[in-house]
Amino acid sequence: MATHAKIAEHLARQLFKVSIADGAVSAERVAGVLEYVEKHQPPNPVMVLKAYSRLVAAEIAKGEAVVEHAGAVGDAMLSAIAAAMTRQYGRRVTATARPDADLIAGLRVRVGDDVYESSIAGQLAALASAV
Amino acid sequence: MSTVLEQIEQEIAKLSNKGVKKNTGNIRTVADGVAKIDGLSDVMYNEMVQFPGGAIGIALNLEEDEVGCVILGDIANLKEGDEVTTTGRLLSVPVGKGLLGRVVDALGNPVDGKGPVEAKEFYPVERIAPGVVVRKSVSQALFTGIMAIDSMIPIGRGQRELIIGDRGTGKTTITIDTIINQARINKVGIASGDPKFRPVYSIYVAVGQKNSNIARTVSALEAAGALEFTTIVAAPAADNPANLYIAPYSGAAIGEWFMENDMDALIVYDDLSKHAVAYRQISLILKRPSGREAYPGDVFYLHSRLLERAARLDGKGSLTALPIIETLAGDVSAYISTNVISITDGQIFLETDLFNQGIRPAISVGLSVSRVGSAAQIKATKQVGGKLKGELAQFRELAAFAQFGSDLDAKTKAQLDRGNRIVELFKQPAFSPLPIELQVAVLFAMQKGFFEPVDIKKVVDAAAALKHFFTTRKDALLAEIRTKAALDKDLEAKLQAACEEWKSSFTP
Repeated sequence: MATHAKIAEHLARQLFKVSIADGAVSAERVAGVLEYVEKHQPPNPVMVLKAYSRLVAAEIAKGEAVVEHAGAVGDAMLSAIAAAMTRQYGRRVTATARPDADLIAGLRVRVGDDVYESSIAGQLAALASAV
Repeated sequence: MSTVLEQIEQEIAKLSNKGVKKNTGNIRTVADGVAKIDGLSDVMYNEMVQFPGGAIGIALNLEEDEVGCVILGDIANLKEGDEVTTTGRLLSVPVGKGLLGRVVDALGNPVDGKGPVEAKEFYPVERIAPGVVVRKSVSQALFTGIMAIDSMIPIGRGQRELIIGDRGTGKTTITIDTIINQARINKVGIASGDPKFRPVYSIYVAVGQKNSNIARTVSALEAAGALEFTTIVAAPAADNPANLYIAPYSGAAIGEWFMENDMDALIVYDDLSKHAVAYRQISLILKRPSGREAYPGDVFYLHSRLLERAARLDGKGSLTALPIIETLAGDVSAYISTNVISITDGQIFLETDLFNQGIRPAISVGLSVSRVGSAAQIKATKQVGGKLKGELAQFRELAAFAQFGSDLDAKTKAQLDRGNRIVELFKQPAFSPLPIELQVAVLFAMQKGFFEPVDIKKVVDAAAALKHFFTTRKDALLAEIRTKAALDKDLEAKLQAACEEWKSSFTP
């Protein structure tokens, strides 16, 4: 079972590498990869595609700043965030707004694994863990 | 001036509104105290990570696209997809004198119901051991209070002496006796007001033991008045394997604080066999390659990096380590046993047969050794017990041969008779360590033949009577031995006279 998982991971990584064009995930190439997998089914195709999906999702997340906010966020602010993140990571990052009333006030920006916390809810949580 | 203040306030306001950057990941799987996490791309090796619900973990496996973490704390509420964040900190525990008299868990949290631990400093759990330049050779005695050990297998401050034996042979009892003896010496030393006196503080690390056993140890130390000089780090069998894995390192960090701050400390790891088993469990779940007996390849390093942290530092204090290893059917050549034997500076081997024969502590003289101890022995003990180990080893050999024949020459009979008396003399009940000066007096009496007329079966009673005689009537003489730490002609004469006096009053 462990060997099957390793083989699937390895194949998924190979497929992921060919899905990248100009440093970003290419929709065309992903479609090509899926077509290829459908035609030439590898052993454990579900395992391969799940691993592939995880890698693609992680890569897409690196190029997308999800701006969770409580209160209004204008286009200008989103553009400013996208520009700041593009500078920070040295790659093109787009910004998407996602309202979240649980934040009480402020913003939380997620880019890949990184989270920039500037919300009241985040500060309260930090305070609670420090007390 | 108000402009300056405004500027400062603006800076404070800026800082307090500043966003905090965190690196996060999500739990992919959780099993047996180990979580595999997607993400955490910035995590460091051995960094603490924060799980939901207050549990913390340590990143042990940094792989291409996942991180393997051991979880310290309650894992019952963790589930797939939960967010995990890095903390940027290595695992640390509170250290200092505030921990004396306390029972804490592997993370330094109190578990004795006596309120929070008063500690101002924190030390990292994993630390590089002191190098060769800062070390000093072991030359100062650490008295266990057990006559057989102090006279034949002496331990010095900064030494690592392994205590090894089957289950139920008295391994823990030896260490508890040693801790009690340190407390007794500390009390005498502190009361004397001697500015040169260096107390020894103790740390007892219980790994994988039953809670009832830990409670028994705590009450034994409390009853003997030793708990005030002792910290107990408890990682009972019911804890998850990560706590069992971390506990000895936490104990070492607590001990290092004393060492670094010009004090002496003693640490007991009870026991490292269970520690190795916990590490094996973690490693297998982390899918690290397994080797002999399914232990991972770095199981030697697991113990060597721990025990190397015990040292005597030049111009500072010392940390003496007494690790315990439990053998199966007396097999000292098992994997973990041989590893720890090769790391330590000697071992005290306890035999089941001796224990069952009523010889307690059941120390096998032939298999026990202290590689640096004789340098740390006081002169008085060397004078009265220097040849004891050889005599006793010869006796055991002769006794084995004597089983085959009944016609023995007078010399052999005398040797056997003397050996039997020494064996009887070294019998000592649990939790009653003997002060070194009293040990010297008893061994002096033995050396000068005061026990010769006593029937072998009554040697224990005679020795008890002699100890009672000295403690009640020759207190000044004992104090003199303690201060001089060597027997000159005058002291020998006084001891001889005291023994004569005892002999005249003692009726076997």
